[in-house]
Amino acid sequence: MFRFLLRFIIIILLLFQIGCDNLDKEVKNEELKSNLIQSHIDEARNKKNSDEERKNNLEKAYGIYSTLIDNTYKIEKIQEISFVYFELKDYDNYRIMNEKALKLSKSINDSLNIAESHTYLGLYYKASRLDLAYENFYEAEEIYSSLYNKQNGSEGHAFDRGKVLTDLALILRKIKNYSESESLTIKAIENFELAKNNLYIPLCYTNLGIIAKYTEFYDKAIEYHKKAIEYAKGTEAEVLQILTSYNNIGTTYKSQKKYDKAKEYYNKALTYTDFLSKNPKRRARLIDNLAYVNFLSNDTSNIPDLFFKALKIRDSIGDKYGIATNKLHLAEYYKSIGEDSISRMYAYQSKDLSLELQKNEELLKTYQVLSKVSDSKEGLEYANEYIKLNDSLVKEERLFRDKFARIRFETDEIVEQNQQISRENEILIIAILGLTALFLLGYIIFRQQQSNKELLFAQTQQESNEEIYRLFINQQIKLEEGRQLEQQRMSEELHDGVLGRLFGVRLSLDGINQRANDEFTDSRNKYIEELKAIEKEIRLISHDLGAETLPSDVAYIDAVENLIKDLCEVHKLEFEFNNDEDIDWEEIDDQKKVNFFRILQESMQNIFKHAHADSIKINFDYVEDKINLTILDDGIGFRENKVKKGIGLKNITSRVSQMSGVVKFLSEVNSGTTVSVSVPV
Amino acid sequence: MIDDHPMIIEGYKNTLLGENQKEYQIKIDIASNCDDAYANIVKSSETVPYDMLFIDIKLPPSSDGTITSGEDLAKHAKELLPKSKVIILTMHREDHRIHNILKNINPAGFLIKSDLTSSELLLAFNNIVKGKAYYSATVNDHFRKMMTNKFSLDEKNLKILYHLSRGVKTKNLPNYVSLSLSAIEKRKNQIKEMFSIAKADDQKLLEEARKRGFI
Repeated sequence: MFRFLLRFIIIILLLFQIGCDNLDKEVKNEELKSNLIQSHIDEARNKKNSDEERKNNLEKAYGIYSTLIDNTYKIEKIQEISFVYFELKDYDNYRIMNEKALKLSKSINDSLNIAESHTYLGLYYKASRLDLAYENFYEAEEIYSSLYNKQNGSEGHAFDRGKVLTDLALILRKIKNYSESESLTIKAIENFELAKNNLYIPLCYTNLGIIAKYTEFYDKAIEYHKKAIEYAKGTEAEVLQILTSYNNIGTTYKSQKKYDKAKEYYNKALTYTDFLSKNPKRRARLIDNLAYVNFLSNDTSNIPDLFFKALKIRDSIGDKYGIATNKLHLAEYYKSIGEDSISRMYAYQSKDLSLELQKNEELLKTYQVLSKVSDSKEGLEYANEYIKLNDSLVKEERLFRDKFARIRFETDEIVEQNQQISRENEILIIAILGLTALFLLGYIIFRQQQSNKELLFAQTQQESNEEIYRLFINQQIKLEEGRQLEQQRMSEELHDGVLGRLFGVRLSLDGINQRANDEFTDSRNKYIEELKAIEKEIRLISHDLGAETLPSDVAYIDAVENLIKDLCEVHKLEFEFNNDEDIDWEEIDDQKKVNFFRILQESMQNIFKHAHADSIKINFDYVEDKINLTILDDGIGFRENKVKKGIGLKNITSRVSQMSGVVKFLSEVNSGTTVSVSVPV
Repeated sequence: MIDDHPMIIEGYKNTLLGENQKEYQIKIDIASNCDDAYANIVKSSETVPYDMLFIDIKLPPSSDGTITSGEDLAKHAKELLPKSKVIILTMHREDHRIHNILKNINPAGFLIKSDLTSSELLLAFNNIVKGKAYYSATVNDHFRKMMTNKFSLDEKNLKILYHLSRGVKTKNLPNYVSLSLSAIEKRKNQIKEMFSIAKADDQKLLEEARKRGFI
């Protein structure tokens, strides 16, 4: 048996050891993996490697990741991989990575990463699918705004939120929802300011300026553009922003038909030759714009040379968008000078490019030009094309707006549902808490009442106990008084009546005897002496009777002794009872007396029932202001720790503790039991 | 002769008349209660005063309550009949009562009924007639005890001891002795000191008092 146990323990220990090893290995594995991943990512980042190699590294990195457990760290790393894909212009993988990150974030309920993943996906769709981009950005914004509310307006993720808001505003501007775009931009600016990061504020103001131009608040537009420059001042992007803003201001003035002002700003922009030489696309656009304004203001001195200059730059860098615009401008120019065939040629080229690039605005204008420079039949066709495109554009815009509205609505609905659920949960929790509190309160009150009742009951019981005792004692005292009175009466009767008459008789007899001088005198004297002796005896009896043999407080002890005597007689036991005369029972309160009485009763019941005793000894002793009651029997006793306390012993204990006393039950098998109670007076 | 038991008066008469008829002419008035006795005493004081008064201590009190015992009666008699000899005859033989009677009345004769025989009564009668006082042996004993003690206890102290010896508790003593509890305690301590058993308990005190004959 023992050997078996030993073996068992050894096996368990071994198992434990193995378990520990496994755990160690796992931890090590984890470390190893993350190191490996990091090295793969670093390798992928390294621009010296070929794109193929870098992508291979990313795939390997992701392959390892997919084996890791889901946590925030994993999500961040996947996002990191997606960035590298973005760098490598592998946008599909960028999207796939971010979709995975989004799914993971959702599965572990990491709202911040959900928002981020949505943002990244929005960036992916921005170029191709406005509706999906909008949806992603919108979801991200919802999360940020809820986080903002939770954090009570602290900056938290204000910068990220600002970026998302900016993106949303740009999308909305694209679909010509200017008012909403404007309000989102303003919100974005607020967030950037909250985050104390001005990086994108110029962009926001630029957007506001463009919107203001479209909504024909030209002064406001110019103001916004100037503000954009102000915010960019001192930053790396200052020159770029100045160029953008000047261009935009020029365009604004152009729309306002303030061509001189427009020219002034375009020219101002063109003075940044150093920067523009590195940025031909921008330069070409400025030149083209300047040329167009010149054309519009009938300042034909530099035209069409300026147009060609721009076109040449754009051709050299393959700026298809620019070329389409440029050629449209040329078509317009040639149309204005009546060179319809040249105009038509440029218009065709512009139309084809615009169709290719889906540049609808340019296309629309091209159709307009074409409808005018073509012969009537073809012109009509283009005019129809124009109307069709215009309609489809309007329709598309409306469609987008509807779609966006639906996206908003659906997202809001989900949010609202969530809120509804959380509100319901709250109500449920409050209801449960309330009910629990109510129940607890009820229970407490119930318990209180119960204990009050118990207390009341105990009190009345105590009172009735005392009452019973008083009646009992009164009875005893009355009995005693009656007896004493009777004794007194007998004593007096004996002393005054019987004794007197006896004395008289004796004296008379004696007197007569003295005179009768015969032989019987002596014997009569003897009897007279006997009479005297009887007198003496009667006197003694009378004296004893008349003395206060039983003081009133003896009544209690009498009652106690009677109890013991009666019980012992019934159960045929010998008893010995001693009461210390020093105990002044009259001074001791009735409650204690009743308790002593009951303790005695209880103990004696125990003795009769269990002890099989032949005799008992009961003592009341008075020691140092304490009454000690000892009840001793010569019965079979009990083993103290073996017998569980019965109701009798419990009663005794509770009574003693009521009197703030101490009780001891001492017993040994076959050597009797001693119950000793000590109670302070 | 004043006694509430006709039998006792009968006894006195039998004794005195049987023997003294030749020597003295004895005329006896009897009374069995204080009222009658007092009336007789008053009457005789106005006419022929009594030569001798036999007074019992325990008597039915007078109807107006002023005379409650033979003791009171004796006091009146001493006033009204200064020349008559008072003989106290009583069943009581307790020291303090003897002491009291001696002190208050100073009778010519003091006889304890339980000691009394007819010959003693005669002896007492003859002595008193001749002008000599006569006291019963018990009374003489009392005298002797008082004399042999270097000190004497007053009536109150004796009473305290007496009642204690009867088993009366100290705290109930004020009911028997007209003193407050604290006064009684003080007296008890004094007695103990006199007995040079200070700090002894009541048991010891009574033992000592018995030995010294105060009880």
